[in-house]
Amino acid sequence: MADRGGTSSGGGGNGAPELAKKSRKPKYSRFSQQELPACKPILTPGWVITAFISIGVIFIPIGLASLFASQRVVEIVDRYDRDCIPRNVSDDGVGFIEDAKANKTCVRTLTVQKQMKSPIYVYYQISNFYQNHRRYVKSRDDKQLWSPKNERSSSDCKPEDFTSNGQPIIPCGLIAWSMFNDTYKFSVKDKVLEVNKKGIAWKSDREHKFGSDVYPKNFQSGALIGGAKLNSSIPLSQQEDLIVWMRPAALPTFRKLYGKIEVDLEPNDNITVIIENNYNTYSFGGNKKLVLSTTSWMGGKNDFLGVAYLTIGGLCLFLAISFILVYVLKPRPLGDPSYLSWNRNAAGHLN
Amino acid sequence: MKRYVYINEDESSHDLYRDNRISNRKYTTLNFLPKNLLEQFSRFMNQYFLLIACLQLWPLITPVNPASTWGPLIFIFAVSATKEAWDDYNRYLSDKKANEKRVWIVWNGIKKQIKAQDIHVGNIVWLRENDEVPCDLVLLGTSDPQGLCYVETSALDGETDLKTRVVPSACMGIDSELLHKIKGVIECPNPDKDIRRFDANLRLFPPFIDNDVCPLTIKNTILQTCYLRNTEWACGVAVYTGNETKLGMSRGIPEPKLTAMDAMIDKLTGAIFIFQIVVVMVLGVAGNVWKDTESRKIWYVEYPNEGPWYELLIIPLRFELLCSIMIPISIKVSLDLVKSLYAKFIDWDQKMIDDETGTASHAANTAISEDLGQVEYILTDKTGTLTENKMIFRRCCINGVFYGNDSGDAFKDVELLNAIEAGSTDVIRFLTIMAICNTVIPVQSKSGAISYKAQSQDEDALVHAAAKLHMVFVNRNSNILEIKFNSSSIQYELLETLEFTSDRKRMSVVVKDCRSGKIFLLSKGADEAILPYAFAGQQTRAFVEAVDQYAQMGLRTLCLAWRELMPDEYREWSLSFKEANSSLEDREWKLAEVCQRIERDLEVLGVTAIEDRLQDGVPETIETLRKAGINFWMLTGDKQNTAIQIALLCNFISPEPKGQLLLINGKTKDEVYRSLERVLLTMRITTSEPKDVAFVVDGWALEIALTHYRKAVTELAILSRTAICCRVTPSQKAQLVQLLKSCDYRTLAIGDGGNDVRMIQQADIGVGISGREGLQAARAADYSIGKFRFLKRLILVHGRYSYNRTAFLSQYSFYKSLVICFIQIFFSFISGVSGTSLFNSVSLMAYNVFYTSIPVLVSVLDKDLSEETVMQHPQILFYCQAGRLLNPSTFAGWFGRSLFHAVVVFIISIHAYAYEKSEMEEVSLVALSGCIWLQAFVMTLETNSFTILQHLAIWGNLAAFYIINWIFSAIPSSAMYTIMFRLCRDPSYWITIFLIIAAGMGPILALKYFRFTYRPSKINTLQQAERLGGPILSLGSIEPQPRSIERDVAPLSITQPKMRNPVYEPLLSDSPNSTRRSFGPGTPFDFFQPQSRLSASYSRNCKDN
Repeated sequence: MADRGGTSSGGGGNGAPELAKKSRKPKYSRFSQQELPACKPILTPGWVITAFISIGVIFIPIGLASLFASQRVVEIVDRYDRDCIPRNVSDDGVGFIEDAKANKTCVRTLTVQKQMKSPIYVYYQISNFYQNHRRYVKSRDDKQLWSPKNERSSSDCKPEDFTSNGQPIIPCGLIAWSMFNDTYKFSVKDKVLEVNKKGIAWKSDREHKFGSDVYPKNFQSGALIGGAKLNSSIPLSQQEDLIVWMRPAALPTFRKLYGKIEVDLEPNDNITVIIENNYNTYSFGGNKKLVLSTTSWMGGKNDFLGVAYLTIGGLCLFLAISFILVYVLKPRPLGDPSYLSWNRNAAGHLN
Repeated sequence: MKRYVYINEDESSHDLYRDNRISNRKYTTLNFLPKNLLEQFSRFMNQYFLLIACLQLWPLITPVNPASTWGPLIFIFAVSATKEAWDDYNRYLSDKKANEKRVWIVWNGIKKQIKAQDIHVGNIVWLRENDEVPCDLVLLGTSDPQGLCYVETSALDGETDLKTRVVPSACMGIDSELLHKIKGVIECPNPDKDIRRFDANLRLFPPFIDNDVCPLTIKNTILQTCYLRNTEWACGVAVYTGNETKLGMSRGIPEPKLTAMDAMIDKLTGAIFIFQIVVVMVLGVAGNVWKDTESRKIWYVEYPNEGPWYELLIIPLRFELLCSIMIPISIKVSLDLVKSLYAKFIDWDQKMIDDETGTASHAANTAISEDLGQVEYILTDKTGTLTENKMIFRRCCINGVFYGNDSGDAFKDVELLNAIEAGSTDVIRFLTIMAICNTVIPVQSKSGAISYKAQSQDEDALVHAAAKLHMVFVNRNSNILEIKFNSSSIQYELLETLEFTSDRKRMSVVVKDCRSGKIFLLSKGADEAILPYAFAGQQTRAFVEAVDQYAQMGLRTLCLAWRELMPDEYREWSLSFKEANSSLEDREWKLAEVCQRIERDLEVLGVTAIEDRLQDGVPETIETLRKAGINFWMLTGDKQNTAIQIALLCNFISPEPKGQLLLINGKTKDEVYRSLERVLLTMRITTSEPKDVAFVVDGWALEIALTHYRKAVTELAILSRTAICCRVTPSQKAQLVQLLKSCDYRTLAIGDGGNDVRMIQQADIGVGISGREGLQAARAADYSIGKFRFLKRLILVHGRYSYNRTAFLSQYSFYKSLVICFIQIFFSFISGVSGTSLFNSVSLMAYNVFYTSIPVLVSVLDKDLSEETVMQHPQILFYCQAGRLLNPSTFAGWFGRSLFHAVVVFIISIHAYAYEKSEMEEVSLVALSGCIWLQAFVMTLETNSFTILQHLAIWGNLAAFYIINWIFSAIPSSAMYTIMFRLCRDPSYWITIFLIIAAGMGPILALKYFRFTYRPSKINTLQQAERLGGPILSLGSIEPQPRSIERDVAPLSITQPKMRNPVYEPLLSDSPNSTRRSFGPGTPFDFFQPQSRLSASYSRNCKDN
């Protein structure tokens, strides 16, 4: 620390040993002499131009490959939150969704444009939903989810930690409480499309985060009902919808896996989807979308990486070319001593 | 205030004065923790971190686990506390050793052995040969029949020669048995730290001596930590004990010095702090607004309708905690670490070891190496610093006859040898004075060879010279001085020694020829202290000329004179001398007056000229450092002419037509003012010309100028690159340092002697030369070096590298903290401005104290230019001096870079990991890895020289990042469980990372390349020249040719008139006064002031305590 400074005046009586210490020659090593062999690269034009060209040359193919992969992904996106409100109450989505007696069933028809190879992933996409909100993202208790011994949840779960009579809620917290509860039923040509809901959550979560002997308890039993209810006879480790939901998204627009369709869909197939439109996104103006998507080595459909790679690659090539041009048109020798104008410099700070 | 010490009164004074327990400890076991914590928390940075850490304990607002701040904080505190505790423990051990040493004291009339800590004031302490003195004692008796004893005082003042101490006259001859029962009282001042003064009185009680008051001086004392040598035993009464001894009192904690760089870093920290507050306020308001408008609608967060009263504060406080990492907690630790390494590099440097003595350089102050690179003014002492302080008698002028002028060596002058052979009276007297008018102690070894223990190099040179000229000073046996001349032995009885003081500038002895019984006064001293006192009829013109001539050659001169005293005159005088000697108040002044009474009507015999050779490499060093833009001021106690000659010799000032010397002088206010104005005028005119203008001022004029015309002097200091101040006192040296510091210049003071200590302590950087005058200066200094020439390496290599490295390290520390902080801020915009942290606690903690701190530490090995290039082009130091590498604008560059990198990392991570991939832990790790990769490449780009350690640190750190995250990903209970494995298996993760690297580094590389090639700084150009090999050698042509160094003085003296004229030319026309000074040998002493406080460098050389 700074107060280490100035320990120069030695204490009493250590004069003689200090003298002896001083006259002892320090040991030689390349480190202590700051003479470790070093390579000292400088930014020569050749080096820099090569670097930019090679970045360009590497990036453009990668960009093309990822763009291609992204384009190969077949995706059906259907926004249904607006259309699933009866026309007569269309300006009062909140009222409709909060009305427990209203019929929430809604039928949508999707047309397959291109062939979709199985597995086809079914996602729900919500936007404007802040799963990353500070109050929300912390409102969970991982210990409670893992072991029945930790039933009594920590205060993190507030305000969904205990029922009004003091019973612990399992799973506690806002995340679990607000679980998504729209359901989808698919059929093609009147034939029901099975949606496989097994294995949609991460294996690691099922096995190490959510206990197989932890059962929901007092869940959604309060006055305020949030989202989905849970079957209290199934252990948490098998409540895969919950597990998926409880991996909060970093962005306010996110997709979560609903299930997998394990048959191929042919072009021009018409898929009929029966949606139970239960989940309230109307109060905060979020929208809900149903997404059917195939996958590639890059994951889902996302052109960003491909476009970005092509842009960066192109820019690098452009820079390389302009550097070459400047180098050719306006050559400037490196380390030219005439740039060292000491005399001017010295006069400059004579004051 | 006085203290009365009753000798051998066993109980009386015990309660009055403390015992002899020495304590250098800062803490005790009990108060260590509170005191140390209090000390650490007195610093703003630490208070800030503590506040943050405390706020984090509030779970409502903390974004991350409090451990992420408490961990590093406790670690940092533990490190400094451990260091303090360790230092204190060592101090305790050494104290304990000293305290428990067994010593013999007299207790109730019997000798008894006790622990040193139990000595009380008034106890009689017995010492044997080679014992260490446990406390300050007044001598009562020694084994020597004459009452003499010898002590080594190196621990006290660093001087390695033996000093004589003498039993007070009252105790002389008391039998050692009787000493046990001696009673008396010593009246002495309260403890002070002046180790050269002890004005006290001793009165013994009956039955010993009648009630006669006996004066005591420092010569009657032996001080703590001295060693008794060459004396079988000695005993004394303890007067000052424990921490109240002279040494204990002078032990002080010096003010910690703050480097310019530290100040700049503090300033930047302050700026970042303000920026942080602004960010927090903006985000806090935005967060509250968002909450009021939006949060009520988002049912899933169940915002309560009624919040607590502090509700409005919660979001701003959360952001405060999120942004707290903007000020990197690691920077202090990193800086301390690298600073101590800089200091170690200095200690280790093989190229700064003085081969003659084997003295390595030493950095006593580990905290200020960067300042070395920013030095603007060097204030240097002359004798012993620029010169070797190895005095050699070269020439002399005896009674108007010059000896040694032809050969430059008086020993080879046949005429002188002949004169000795012939037994010329003047020459013999001259030699006698050389041999015995001093305080030198001859020591005869068993083989019969005589060596001299001298405290003054001048005296040493004179005695040696006399011995070479057959006048051998053989023995100093109490009062009998024995000399051998051509095998006949002559004995003198030493009656009085009129000691040297810097005011009197002369010393004299009164001796009685044992054969004839005649009494003589023998004097030697500076010319102005001797020549005016010549007897009325004597022509001193020849001597004045001699002095002038020798001074022009850069030789040190002393005038020797003598007078025979009538026995009556002596007797009368000796009474008043004794009286003055025993006065308690103003003793020095009274003594000077008494001495003045007898030192008159002298017959001047001649002038000695002693050469003090320049140290090796001094001219080159000064030339290099001046090229580096460092201004030199020479502050010396020497005469003006000598100083100017030395200055010319060592490239300090250039001869005409390049150089011009301006003199400031005058005895009165008006004269000084006029001369000052004239010089200022000339300076203002010549600043536009590339001329080397220097001003010369002597101590007297300086005193007037500093007290009355401070503003003018300040302007002068700013205008002139070179100054020579002659005949200045230690306090004036310190004043000049203060003056330059007040103009905001970084000053470095270098000196070797006790009279430089104040200047060294005053300056921003004090450098001591561990030379012949002991270690006093080296001890007080921040750096000690063996030779002046190492200064070049100290500044250009160590100082410059330290500056560059710290500049990089500190800015990089801010950069990396800002990157992560900006990402957090951006993330808050997509998380409802609620203050969510994107990164988890583990990542944040490891990021700050580990991933980003370790690699940057190896930048202490970075070298932008090789040492040779820097030495060849010292001008490059300008970049450090002007603070070009760390200032608000470079910092703005780093700030912008961190903003850019944060944008790149954030945009790319959230877009590449969108929709079904937008899992929070994954996005956070992608962003974190992006930062780490970028940082590795930033380090790579900013490193100029890669050693194996740099590669290890940069790439090893990257590997460590993955390994650590893999480990965390393998722990089921951690939030990161399996995440890193998942990412590493995912090709899009790697594609994303490469995109981040390319997008983040591409523009920076392009910009850097463009600047490097098309807008190169001088450093860049030199780098290119150095790395590409070829053209660097051709640079010689545009460099000013190094002046050939004239090592020998003789050629200079021949060209004297030629050189003198041009140098003084401007003064001929506009300063009659100075013309007289430089040309008028007839009236050279008009500026002599008997009462002036001027101290010649002679003071150090003739000092005697």
